[in-house]
Formats: sequence, structure tokens, C-alpha cells
Amino acid sequence: MKLDHLNGGQQLAVKYYTVAISLFVAQIIFGLLSGMQYLYPELLFGMLDFNVTRTVHINAMVVWLLYGFIGSVYWLLEEESETEIVGLKLGQLAFWVLTSAVAVVVLVFLLVQSGPGDDFTRWFVNEGREYIEAPRWADIGIVICMLVFFYNVAATFSKGKWSGISGVLTLDLVALAGIYLAGMFYTPNISVDQYWWWWVIHLWVEATWEVLVGCLMAWGLMKVLKVDRKIVTTWLYIEVALMFGSGILGLGHHYFWIGTPEYWLTIGGFFSALEPIPLVAMVVHAVYDAGARHMKGNNNPALAWLIAHAFGNFFGAGVWGFMHTLPQINLYTHGTQWSASHGHLAFFGAYATIVIAMIYIAVPYMRGQKGLGSNLPDGGWKWKWSLGLLNMGVVGMTVALLISGYEQSFIERAVGGSTWYGYFSAQTHPWFIQGMEWRMIFGLITSVGIVLLVWDLLTIGKGRVAQEREQTQAVA
Amino acid sequence: MLEPVELKDFFIVFFSGAMVIMAGALYALLFAWSRLQSKPWMMVLAYASYGILFISVLVLGSAAHLHGFWWWLVITMLVGYLLAPHGIWNLCVATHASSVAPEADEKDLEPGSNQPINKTIKEESV
Repeated sequence: MKLDHLNGGQQLAVKYYTVAISLFVAQIIFGLLSGMQYLYPELLFGMLDFNVTRTVHINAMVVWLLYGFIGSVYWLLEEESETEIVGLKLGQLAFWVLTSAVAVVVLVFLLVQSGPGDDFTRWFVNEGREYIEAPRWADIGIVICMLVFFYNVAATFSKGKWSGISGVLTLDLVALAGIYLAGMFYTPNISVDQYWWWWVIHLWVEATWEVLVGCLMAWGLMKVLKVDRKIVTTWLYIEVALMFGSGILGLGHHYFWIGTPEYWLTIGGFFSALEPIPLVAMVVHAVYDAGARHMKGNNNPALAWLIAHAFGNFFGAGVWGFMHTLPQINLYTHGTQWSASHGHLAFFGAYATIVIAMIYIAVPYMRGQKGLGSNLPDGGWKWKWSLGLLNMGVVGMTVALLISGYEQSFIERAVGGSTWYGYFSAQTHPWFIQGMEWRMIFGLITSVGIVLLVWDLLTIGKGRVAQEREQTQAVA
Repeated sequence: MLEPVELKDFFIVFFSGAMVIMAGALYALLFAWSRLQSKPWMMVLAYASYGILFISVLVLGSAAHLHGFWWWLVITMLVGYLLAPHGIWNLCVATHASSVAPEADEKDLEPGSNQPINKTIKEESV
């Protein structure tokens, strides 16, 4: 595909989007393998163990979302700043360095699956911290690439034009890069280690990522629904205040059971319980804007995915999070399939959906079109089916994991007292196994959805270009 | 200080916890819709939803043993969910009035006005 008509930032964004979608596919493949290993524990045992497939599944998710975010920022950067990117070549170099590092890290995960827990392992194989297992050399590389990204964003806005969205975005990137440093040092005290590790996981996910997504959503609403800039900027400020107000100290719900002082039970429980209030309050804003705009957009797939984002964020983060956030019940649910259920819906609903929406916003521009309305040659069946299958698949997995998690917290934790006997009783209970079987079925539905999504992204609107060309020739 | 949930109350805690958020969202949705379309009967449904939220919070508080200091959490949730839609609505009116239709009659955009907001905006755009 020729991309000469795109600006430099957008051309770079297409590269990031391409890797993002490739990693999304990898995430689902390794998710399917992990799910199968729950049902058939001997599957690939000794070749590709569960701990490896799960590591790649989760790390691929973190990295593809980051690629999606970076790509989205590069996509809007020149348009928003009204100037060319300051360090485009540096940005391209950082892209290839980051992508090479990701490829090497994944290969090492797959090829070196066990070894001693020493400094060599930590620096070159696996750091051992769940979700951010990348070895130290890759950590340093990631930070350098993030600094290049930050430089490009900050310097470009400084050279061009600042706006409310760009200001929030730039400050958020400082936090995004800075907080990652908290997961880059080792302490032998597991409580202290976990204390800082959660800074990366929680504060990224429930603070800096949320704000970054808020910026993308604000920009996306301007593009898709032509919402007034002043309105989205005002709401971005309000959202940031609300998210930070409850989200930062909501960190405490991860400190319940890691050996931190008892006051974290109160702080974590209190602020976590307040975290859904901004989400609920935002319903008012959504209804108001929907009434004012009548939801008429110029890009139907992007609008549909933005709506999926609003619902997914509300249910995944709000409902599924609140159900087990208080320490009085979290004592039994923490780390069971309950967490996996919440994680699947929240990550998909809050983040995957918005990245997909941003890619759909970009696609018509890549093909030299104005939008993706209802006049697609094939009726847009591929994007509609991929939207439906992906959402149905993830919601189905969420409910299946919820059933397994309920059983696990009941039998393993409450009745079995978190003993080995309790653990194995729960893992072999019919409810747990049936939940895992249904998870697998819905995982397969999700994988059909991703195939359709990739197919659609590669082909959507192509026929229309030919149609439009024929019509132009006929008129001439 | 912390009294864990009893085994028999597991489902009650999960269900009431989910109902707090669902009823809260329904209250916010109906509240905004009622104001937007100027349909007072919908406001009755909105407050009925808040009533469900109120009961759900109390049930959750009882099943999760939210006593002593934790009682403040119950109070904060009840007040927060009640007032948040009002606050956000006022912010919506203020931000839209100053940017979408600056020349619109302020009365048309005020909460409780008989003039539906979407009608006002449509007329302004025409």
C-alpha cells in the first residue's frame, strides 16, 4: 500500500499499528494455548510450558497496547501540533530498536524456559516480575525508546501548537515513562519488591493509561462525531481529576495481602470503592452528547468500537472490579480466576477497543478516503462480524472465568483455607473444569473475530476506491 | 478491624456489589435522559433506580460487615452516587452552552427547563 500521501507521523504510526495487530494475534494464539493447557495439562509439557505461554500471552497484550497507543499518538501528532515531527528519523530508529528488542525477548522466552535465578538471568533472560518479565537490558531499551517518543511529542508540540489535549498527553507521557522505572530494580524483600512492582502495573493501567486513552478518546470524538474541541478538552480535564482522585490511592487494593501495613486495607478499600463513581457519572455526559449529536458519525466501525470502549470500560473496570474490590471479600478472590475474569473484560473493554477504534479512524486516510460510512461495497459485514465475535468471545470468556473463579474462591479459599488440598480440590471440581471448557469455546470465537478483524483492516473500503474511480471515469 | 465475609454471604456480596454499579449507572442514565427529553416521569424511574442502589449499598454493607470506620464508605457511596449525576449534568450544561450554542437562551439549557436540550441544539444549528 502506498502511504506517500500521509504525513511523516502517520507513516510511522502505520508501522506501529502493523506490529500492534501482529502482537494482538500472537496474544490470542498464546492465550488459546494457555487455555488448552488448563484442560490438557500434558499439552506441550516440557516443550512450551504453561508459565511460558501465559507469559507471552500477557506480555504480548501489554506490548501491543503500548504499540497501539504510540501509533495513535504519532497518527495525531502532526495534525494536532500543526507542524512536522521534530525527530522523525529518531522515531523511526526507535521503532526498529523497540521492535527488534521485543522479537529477541520473545525468542528468549521461548528458547530459554528455565535456569538459575541469578544476575545473568535477570539481565538477559527473564526478570521474573509477572506481566513485565522483560530482562533488564530490554527494560533499559524500552525506557530509551520511550524517552525518544517523549522527546518527539514534547518537542513537536513545543515547535508547533499546544492544546489542552497535547498538554495532558505530554505530562502523562512523563508519568508513563517515569513509573516504569519503579519496576526496574531488585530487592530481596518480596513485600518491598511487590510494593514497587504494583506502581508499574496499577499506576500504568488505572492512571497513566486511562489518561492516555482519555486523550485518544477526546481526539477520536472530534474526528468521528465532530464534537467541539472546547467540550472534549474540558471533559478531559474533569476525567483526569476524577481518575487521579480515586485511581492513585486505589493502588491500595493491590497492597491488601503482600505484607504492607494494615492501613492499606482501609485506604485501598475506600478509594477502590470510589473508583467506579467517575465511570457512572460519565454516563450522564455520554447521554447528553448522544442526545446533542444523535450519534451521526463519518466512520461507522470506529464509532462502533468507541461505543464498545465505553461499555467495556464500564462493565470490565467498573462492575467486575467493584464486585471483589473490598478487602472483606477480596481475601477470598485475590489471584483466583476472578482476577482473570476482571482482567479479560477490563483490558479488552478499556484499552483494546480504543486502539482498534483509532486504527479504524486511520484506515480510510491510508486509502485516501474521507470516511467509512454505511456505503461500503460489501455492506461492512466483516467489521460488523469481527466486532460482534470479538466482543461476544471476550464477554463469554469473562463469564466462564467468573464461574471458575467463584468456585475457586469458595472451595480453595473459604472452605479449603488456601491449602494445597484446597487448591487441588478446586482445580479438579466440575464447575471449575466446565468454566475452563466454556472459556476455551469463547476463546475460539474470539480467535475467529481477530481473523475477520485482520481481514477487514486489510481490505475495508478497497472496493469503494475502485467504484469511485469508475464513477469518476463515467462522469468524465 | 476487618471482618471477612461469611461463606453463606458470598453470593450476596457479589450480587449486591454488581447491583450498586448497575443501579448507579441506570440512575445516571435515566436522570440524564429525563432532563434531556424533559420527561419528568422518567425522573421517577431514575430515583427508583437510586432506591435500588440505596438498598444494594445497605445489603453490601451488612454482608461485608462494613461497621465502624467502614460505615463512612457506605455514607460516601450513597451521597456520591446521588450527587455525581447532578454535578456532571450541570457541567454538561455549562460546557455545551458556552461552546456549542453561545447565542442560545441560557434558560433553554438549564436543568429542569421545559425545552429539550437536543431540540434547542437542532434549532440553533438550523
